[in-house]
Amino acid sequence: MTIVLEARNLSKTYGDVQAVNTVSLSVEEGALFGLLGPNGSGKTTMIRMLTGQTRPTGGTATVLGVDVTKDPVGVRSRVGIIPEQETPPSFLTAMEYLRFVAAVRKIPDIETKADWWFDFLDFADKKNVLCKDLSRGTRQKLMFTQAFIHEPALALIDEPLINFDPIMQDLVKEYLAGYVKKGKTIFISTHILEVAEEICSGFAILHKGTLLHTGPVADLTGRGEHLPAFFLSLVRKDHHA
Amino acid sequence: MLELFHAMMKEEWRIHSTMFGSLSFALFPVMIFGIAFMGAFLVPLMQTTLPAGNLTLILHASYLMLGIMVGGFGLLGNEVMNRRFGQASLLAYSARSLPLKESFIFSNFVVKDTVYYFFLWVLPFGLGYIIASPFIGVSLASALLLLLTLTLAFLFGLCAVFFLSTVYARSRPALWLILLAVVAGGAGLAVVTGTNPALFFPPLLLNHAFTWTNLIGSCAILAILFGVAIALFNPESVGSEKNYRNAFSPLMARLSFLPNPPLAAKDAIDLYRSGSLIGQTLFSFILPLAVIWFFLSLLGPYFPPHGLLFIFAITTGVIASTMYTWVTMFDNFGPYACLPVAVSTLIAGKLTTFTILQLLPAIFIAVVAILSGEIAFLVPAVVLGLAVSFYAVAVMAWLCGLSPNVLVYDVKVLALYLILVGIVIVLFTAAAFANPYFALASLILAVPAWWFVQKAKVRWDAVDPAGF
Repeated sequence: MTIVLEARNLSKTYGDVQAVNTVSLSVEEGALFGLLGPNGSGKTTMIRMLTGQTRPTGGTATVLGVDVTKDPVGVRSRVGIIPEQETPPSFLTAMEYLRFVAAVRKIPDIETKADWWFDFLDFADKKNVLCKDLSRGTRQKLMFTQAFIHEPALALIDEPLINFDPIMQDLVKEYLAGYVKKGKTIFISTHILEVAEEICSGFAILHKGTLLHTGPVADLTGRGEHLPAFFLSLVRKDHHA
Repeated sequence: MLELFHAMMKEEWRIHSTMFGSLSFALFPVMIFGIAFMGAFLVPLMQTTLPAGNLTLILHASYLMLGIMVGGFGLLGNEVMNRRFGQASLLAYSARSLPLKESFIFSNFVVKDTVYYFFLWVLPFGLGYIIASPFIGVSLASALLLLLTLTLAFLFGLCAVFFLSTVYARSRPALWLILLAVVAGGAGLAVVTGTNPALFFPPLLLNHAFTWTNLIGSCAILAILFGVAIALFNPESVGSEKNYRNAFSPLMARLSFLPNPPLAAKDAIDLYRSGSLIGQTLFSFILPLAVIWFFLSLLGPYFPPHGLLFIFAITTGVIASTMYTWVTMFDNFGPYACLPVAVSTLIAGKLTTFTILQLLPAIFIAVVAILSGEIAFLVPAVVLGLAVSFYAVAVMAWLCGLSPNVLVYDVKVLALYLILVGIVIVLFTAAAFANPYFALASLILAVPAWWFVQKAKVRWDAVDPAGF
């Protein structure tokens, strides 16, 4: 199997705070990989480093063969990204934003592709509304669309189901599962462990910026263990250590 | 009232201090104090060429403009209103989670801005002058009076903008009517009295001859403007779902000759739909420049021949450079973080939009040159104004990247900006005073401007994009 994402001793320090501490992990092509951890564990910083939004203070990482430090724009041109906080530009309409994304990413036939997504995520009635006037859920749908509309080989998503109602969550989980079946890779960060257990093939647990564990979900379930219980025992042990 | 006011003050302080550290931000008023203190020692020298009355005129005009700019900064443009009262996680947003009326929050916000910027800008400057007054032969009483009247001038600028912006939010024709009435009133006063109406500016009258009646009159005008602004305040309804036709694609096609058509089209839409193109042009460009022209015109006899036009061209250039803040105010790097766009590309895009906006100062300087009968020097004046503007914006881009609105309060950044731009202003003012055509030499500023832009791209690509 091809490795599409690899981090070696990746670290990030903000002043005196060690947000991520020498994390090494790799993700294979076709995986739906979950980066798990409590709030403030460094998940978002990891995603920001892996997508070239933040420079690591130590270590290296390659995404689809591109060094994230040397060519951050190159990384972002190859992947799809949904940041933690949805931020479509205030004064473009949803459709105009997708046209903007298409112009920047040079995506052909944007009208047809966008219409498919508007129908699929059920927000066609909002396509000509300014982004600032959209609800959080609709903005999340829009951000989801911009991340997948060019069908990237790898998508990195920070909290994929946040702001979605249960029906939309189900639809999105189904979409993600189907996406990796096509040979594409998805890297998500979440603290919703039940979702991770349900959809992820591999996972890593991060706590206080340190990697506690990484491996396939099947190894756990094969032993009759559940991800939430495993996660809690590991994090609590580390917390008391 | 007090709790909310206190919390808003703390919030404003923390917004600034967390960005560049409490000490660095706390030094900002100290620097203003230092500038005023040292500048005061130049007063005796200036008085040899400028009568004292005209010096106070310049000071009052500057404070009026400061008030206009502080007031305009937070309140102009629909989206800025919206951001401050709708989506931002500030106390001003608390009407939705606390049992408080929006007009009550707005009045607290206005008072907070007044007090906060008084301590940040007005008081340090006044104190600098007061403490220097014994050394320059100025009595303490007149120094204190100056502090009072400068404060009033600042408040006139601030509350005039609050008033006009709330009128603007309610009815644009009403705004134009009011402005027309003010201009007509000023012209009428000039005709009837045969005096420049600027001399009837209440704080200036008060400074020339203190009377309690004048003081109460000034305060009453301020109270009326504040009161009407608060009464007229009408927060926008957030979440209205108006449909818009596609403006992006045709605009991008029209701007395809530019280096980054999608970025330029987005900026143009931001400026248009936010209402800030008209609002900023009016309140952050034309109004301050009209005020400056109004007051500067009184000083014509004390400048060398044609000097007034070139002083005005340089001032226009400096103010025009702040148009960079118009195109960066709605954007941080956030919306681009998920796209293959580098910070340097974004800076280049913003500078492209800035370049298009420079049509405004060019026209403005040309109109002033024509109206003042200096058409022969129209070209050197326009060249000088634009050269200063492009140079100043290049310095700003190098120092602040995409966050000029925020980093201006970093004392190191502001000091460096003032030095780098100040040197150029002094050099080219002297050149233009020596011979108006020497102003054409300002074209040479294209070289350092280009250098600063290249440096800005490298510098801001190398640091983590700021989230403000």
